[in-house]
Amino acid sequence: MTFYITVAISIAISSIAVLGTFMLTGMNGLFSLGQAAFMGLGAYATAILVVNYGLPFPLAILIAIALAISLAFFVGYATLRIRQDFFALATFGFGQAMIALLTETVTITGGAMGFSNIPRLTSPALAFISLAIAIFFVWGFRRSHFGKDSLAIRSNELAAEVEGINAFKHKMIVFVISAGFAAYAGALMAFHISYVEPATYGWILSVTWIIIVFFGGRDSLTGTVIGAIILLAAPEALRFTTAWRILVYCVIILLIINLRPRGLFGTWEISLKPFLRFFKSKKQQEAK
Amino acid sequence: MGVPMQFSIILQQVVNGLSLGAVYALIAVGFALIFNVLKFSNFAHGGVLGISAYAGYIAANQFKLPLIPVILVGMVTGAILAVLVELIAFRWIRLQKGQLVYFFVTSVTMLMLLEQVLIIRFGASFESYPYTLVKVRVLQFGDVTISVTYLLSLISTIIAFSGLIYVLKKTKIGIAIRAASNDLTATSLMGINVNMVIIAAFIVSGMLGGLSGVLYGISASLSPQIGQIVVKGFIASVLGGLGSLTGVAVAAVVLGVLEVFLISTIGSGLSPVVIFLLMVVFLLVRPHGFAGVSFSDKA
Amino acid sequence: MEKAIVIDMKNLTKKFGGLCAVNDFTGHVKENQIIGIIGPNGAGKTTILNMVSGIYPPTQGEIIFKGKDISKLAPFQINHLGIARTFQNIRLFQEMTVLETIMTAYSWRAPYHFLETFVSLPRVARFEKETKEKCLHWIEKVGLGNEAHSITQSLPYGMQRRVEIARALASEPTVLLLDEPGAGLNQSEIHDLVDLIQGLFTELSLSIMLIDHRMDVIMRLCEWIYVQDFGKNISQGTPEQIQKDPIVIKAYLGEEIINA
Repeated sequence: MTFYITVAISIAISSIAVLGTFMLTGMNGLFSLGQAAFMGLGAYATAILVVNYGLPFPLAILIAIALAISLAFFVGYATLRIRQDFFALATFGFGQAMIALLTETVTITGGAMGFSNIPRLTSPALAFISLAIAIFFVWGFRRSHFGKDSLAIRSNELAAEVEGINAFKHKMIVFVISAGFAAYAGALMAFHISYVEPATYGWILSVTWIIIVFFGGRDSLTGTVIGAIILLAAPEALRFTTAWRILVYCVIILLIINLRPRGLFGTWEISLKPFLRFFKSKKQQEAK
Repeated sequence: MGVPMQFSIILQQVVNGLSLGAVYALIAVGFALIFNVLKFSNFAHGGVLGISAYAGYIAANQFKLPLIPVILVGMVTGAILAVLVELIAFRWIRLQKGQLVYFFVTSVTMLMLLEQVLIIRFGASFESYPYTLVKVRVLQFGDVTISVTYLLSLISTIIAFSGLIYVLKKTKIGIAIRAASNDLTATSLMGINVNMVIIAAFIVSGMLGGLSGVLYGISASLSPQIGQIVVKGFIASVLGGLGSLTGVAVAAVVLGVLEVFLISTIGSGLSPVVIFLLMVVFLLVRPHGFAGVSFSDKA
Repeated sequence: MEKAIVIDMKNLTKKFGGLCAVNDFTGHVKENQIIGIIGPNGAGKTTILNMVSGIYPPTQGEIIFKGKDISKLAPFQINHLGIARTFQNIRLFQEMTVLETIMTAYSWRAPYHFLETFVSLPRVARFEKETKEKCLHWIEKVGLGNEAHSITQSLPYGMQRRVEIARALASEPTVLLLDEPGAGLNQSEIHDLVDLIQGLFTELSLSIMLIDHRMDVIMRLCEWIYVQDFGKNISQGTPEQIQKDPIVIKAYLGEEIINA
C-alpha cells in the first residue's frame, strides 16, 4: 500500500467519527468531550475480540458498537435532561474514566504501552464505502424531521418541547448515533494502523473533531466533509510536528469563528437536484 | 505505634486533601466568576493558569526570585493573559451577539492553543520549581508531618479569598461585577460600562488562575498539560451549583479531599473512574448541584 | 345547551422558594370559548399558563384536561393531548424559515423510526411532503403566505407573532394558550391580531385561554375573565361585570382606564 492510500484511508475513517460530531455538536449544539473515548472503546473492543477471542471482524465490530451505544445511553440518561454544561462535563469525565480503565487493565489491553499486532483487515474499499454510507446516513437523517428538530432544540429547547418534541429522547438518539459512529471509526482505525494506545483517545481528539465541524460550517454537511479532508490532510502534507499542527488548527478556528462564525461553507450544500431533474425529465420523455 | 500512627496518617491526608482542595477552589472560583458574568464555561482559564505557572517557574528558576515575587509574577501574568484571551477569543463574538456555542468553541480552542505553546517551548517533559524556593519543606507536629508547600497553598488561598470578598463587597468595580453576574443587560442599562466590568472580571479571574497555577506548580510539578486541571474547577463549579461562589469553593475542597483519599486507597490510575461514577450518581440525585438552584427557564 | 368544560384548573398554587406566584387559582375553559386572565405584571398570569402547558408542575392543585389529570405531564405530552401555546417573549428558532419552523410542530406525528431516515425510505419523504402542504395551509391562514421561505428572525415583530400562532395551530390543538399576544405590537397590529384570533376561534372552534394586561384585547375577545392580582384571584365574570366591579377598578383597572 502506498503512503498516499494509507493516509487517505486514515482520513476517511476519521471523517466517519467527525460526522458523528457533526450530528451531535454541529446540528444539536451538544459538546461531547468524551467522543474520542467512544472511538477508543470501539478500537479496543474490536481488537481484543478479534485477536484474543478469535471472533470474526464484522461480529466484533457490531459488539463494539453495541457497547459504545449502551455506555452513551448511560451517560446521556444522567445528563441530557439538564444543562448542556453538565453534558460536556459528564462526557469529559467519561472520557477520562475510559482512558484510565484502558490504561489500568494491563492484562487485557496492554496498558499504556498499547495493544499491537492487530491484523490489517481494513481494506481501502471498506474505508471509503463506509465513509460514503455514513455520509448518506447523515444526509437522510438531516433531511427528515429529525434535522429540523435538531435545529429547533439547539435554538430553543423550551419552545420545541411545547410544540410536542421530546427533546430528551431526540438528544439521546443523536448522542447514541454519534457514539456508534465514533466506535465504528475506532474499529476500522485499529485494523488499519494495527495498533491502539489509550493516550490517542483523549479529549484533545474530541475537541479536534469539534474544531473541524466549526471550520467547515456546523450547518453544512458538505462543509464538514470537505473541512475534515482539508484539516486531516494538511498535517500530512505539511509535516508539522503535532504541537505545531494543533497550534495552527487553533489559530485557524479562532480566525474563522471571529470573522466567519458560520464556518467556511455556511449553510451551503452540494445539491443533487440538477442530476435528479435530469433523470426525471428523461423518465417523462420515456413515458411520453 | 499502631493507633496513633493511623491517626497521624489520616490527619496528614486530610491536610493534603484540604490543600489540594484549596488550589481547586482557587481554580473553581476563577472559573465560576467568568461563568456568572458571561454564562459560559471558560475553559481558557486552564490555559491562563498553565502559562502563569510556567511564568512563575521561569521567574524562580532563571531569575532566582524569592517566593512572594514569584507568586506575584504568576498573578500578573494570569491577569494580562486573561485579558488577552477575552480580547482575542470572546470580545468580538460578544459584540456580534454570537451564540453561546461559539464561546464554548473558542474557549476550548484557547486552552488547547496555550497548551501547545507550552509543549513547543518546554517539550513534553516535567519540570519543577527550584527546591530552594520554599526553604523549610516540612513541619513536624509530634507524629504528624505537614508539608510546608501544602500549608502555603492553604494560607495563600485563604488570603486570596479574603481579598476577593473585600473586592466583591466593598469596591465599586467588585459591586459592578456582582451586578453583572445577576443581569448583564440591566447592568448596561444602568449606565455601567459593561466592557470595563468584563475586563475587570477577567483580571480578577486571571489573578486567581495565576495564583492557583503557581501554587499547584510548587506543590506538585509542571507539565504542559497542567492547564487541564481547569476541569477540576469545572467539576466543582457545576457540582457546587453554578452561581454561588461559596458553593463552588466548598465543592472544590470536597473534591480535593475526595481525590487525595481515592489516590491513597485505589491509586491514581483508577480514581478518575470512581470520580466519574460519583459525578453521574450525583447528577442523577441532585440535577442542579449542591446549592440546588434550579435554572428553570422563564417563559 | 351547556358547553362542556375542557380544562378544569382546581386550586392551583405555585411557589418559587418563599414566593407565592399563584395562590389557589380555580377556573375553567369550556368548549369553543375564549377566556381571559388579566392582571398587572407579577400577578401570576404567565405562571398559570406555564403550569397548564407543563413547563413546571403546580405546587398544589390539579389541572384536568378532558377528564385526565395533566398537572404532572411534560410539555410535549401535554402538546400531544391537544394543548398548544405561544410565548410572551417570542420564542422562534434561529436560522430557520417560517415553513421549517412550523413543520417542526408535526415532527412527533412522524410515522417512521430514525433508522428509516438513514436509508431514506420513501415514506420519510412522503411524510415531509404532506407536512409541508399542511404547514403552507397554516401559514396562509395567519396571513403570511408570501413569507413561507423567509428566515423568521428577519421578519418584523408583528409577523413573528403570527409565526408563533401558526406554529401553535400546526399542533392541531383543541385548546390554544396565548401569552400576551399583543405585547410589543402597535395599535393597528393589535387590531389585526384580534381579528385574526376571532377568525381562528370561529373557524376552528377552538377553546382559547388568553393572557393580556391590555383591556381592549381582553374585552373584545373574551367571554369570561379572571382578574389576578399578586397571585390571587380577585374577581371573575363577563367583560361587562368586570368593567363594573369596584374591586377590580380599585386594584387594577382604575389606572388603566385613566391612562387609556
